[in-house]
Amino acid sequence: MSSHLFWNGVPIAFEPGETIAAALLRAGIVDLGRPDDGPGGRVFCGIGACQGCVVTVAGAAPVEACLTPARDGLRLGPLPWIGADHG
Amino acid sequence: MAEVPILVVGGGPAGASAAATLVEAGLRVLLIEQRDRLGGAIHRQTASGAESPVWRPARHRRNWAALTARLGAAAERIDIRTQTVFLGVDGEGRFLFEDRRSERVLARRPRAAIIAVGAIETIRPFPGWELPGVMTVGGAQVLLKETGRPPAGPVLIAGSGPLLPALAAQLARAGNPPVAVLERGRPWRAPGALARLILSGGPTGEAASYAAVLAAHRVPYRCGASALRAEPDGDGLKVACRIGTSEQSLHVRHLLIHDGIVPNRTGIPLPAPEAAVPVLQAGDGREALGADAAILDGRRAALQVLARLGHASTAGAASLERPLQRARDFQAALAEALHSARVAPSPETLICRCEGRSYADLAALAEDASAREIRLMGRFGLGACQGRLCGPMIEALRAQPLPATSSPRWPLRPVSVAALARLTADETE
Repeated sequence: MSSHLFWNGVPIAFEPGETIAAALLRAGIVDLGRPDDGPGGRVFCGIGACQGCVVTVAGAAPVEACLTPARDGLRLGPLPWIGADHG
Repeated sequence: MAEVPILVVGGGPAGASAAATLVEAGLRVLLIEQRDRLGGAIHRQTASGAESPVWRPARHRRNWAALTARLGAAAERIDIRTQTVFLGVDGEGRFLFEDRRSERVLARRPRAAIIAVGAIETIRPFPGWELPGVMTVGGAQVLLKETGRPPAGPVLIAGSGPLLPALAAQLARAGNPPVAVLERGRPWRAPGALARLILSGGPTGEAASYAAVLAAHRVPYRCGASALRAEPDGDGLKVACRIGTSEQSLHVRHLLIHDGIVPNRTGIPLPAPEAAVPVLQAGDGREALGADAAILDGRRAALQVLARLGHASTAGAASLERPLQRARDFQAALAEALHSARVAPSPETLICRCEGRSYADLAALAEDASAREIRLMGRFGLGACQGRLCGPMIEALRAQPLPATSSPRWPLRPVSVAALARLTADETE
């Protein structure tokens, strides 16, 4: 079986060396959820500057999806769910 | 005790060139890069390590091969730390980084530092720019370089600058030509600037090849055209565009925007020139002159550091002024050719996405508001991006540089308390 990470519990395939952003976008996930009542998270600048694509990582600190290599079994979700039950 | 290294932040062309120049002079270098590989946005390699299917000028390939060979030749004097994010300088003058692999913060005291963190793209805000599905042209290009795959579904490119047709041609070659390219400027109204561009010996061949690809794929390239607003529409976006004097609506999956680049200076601490630990900026992070000039500028910064440390005369750095001036002249001609008058955005237009602040909120501030007032009363630039994105927009909208805040504070990026708690200082203290 190929490598997968999990977005809101849904398995997302990725290729070796690919970023989280590349994997999510290929799966058609453009809206990365809402931190509060603001606009949803999204990949925007692609270079870690805008912080628009920061996602929650179960068991670790949030990361910029555009900078961070995907890893097998990573459990990710939108920002408001820090500590919430998606791990 | 080991020789204290010189710090280079950023593994793009400027940082790699600076690092190579320093190690060739016999010094040790600590090179920090936020990504898992060197290259920067311009030389982003494919995730798989395979040859990139994305077309790009041969000189970029050659330049990067030459830089990596130089770094490789002195590998024993370079400590390259990838996936390591620069956090700033603390009150005791220590440079702080987060090693994202081990999730710990490192503190180092280098002999000197060269900060080469590149440029960031600017945009001219319009209602809806903040929506998911809207991305920068450069961000989309980095993704294309990494994956070799264009984004799925209809793509519209809007804004201004040479990156628009470049990415449009790359997307077309990769199998998804954009529905249109909307260039805000009207270059034929600036024939003098156009003539200077052509006579400058700049990459006119590159421009011609992009034009040929766009023509072959029937991608409309419209000048004097812009995106006016975007709104969610099914699984994509409805984008209202002005093309000439008419307005039309396009349904797309992705809207890619870009209005030039500016140096990424937010939070970079620059001490007085005579400080004991010199800190210099290099490349697009100092002055946005493009990838070729960044290699020269990285070398220049390294030669300046060598001169400061008594390893070289200042003549070497000075000899790079002329080619840098040519790059500056080229960028100035380009800016003049594509110049377009600024129109104030509508009041509801979001300016600061992090804090949800609109143009009406900005306009409500006093005309002579200080940077502190803009931040503390307006809440602009207080969010996660630290004003990297809205800062240039606010400068442009107020038509004046933002007054400087007090000395920059770390961290430049959000960092976890757990990583800070695992801070390791270096043994040289």
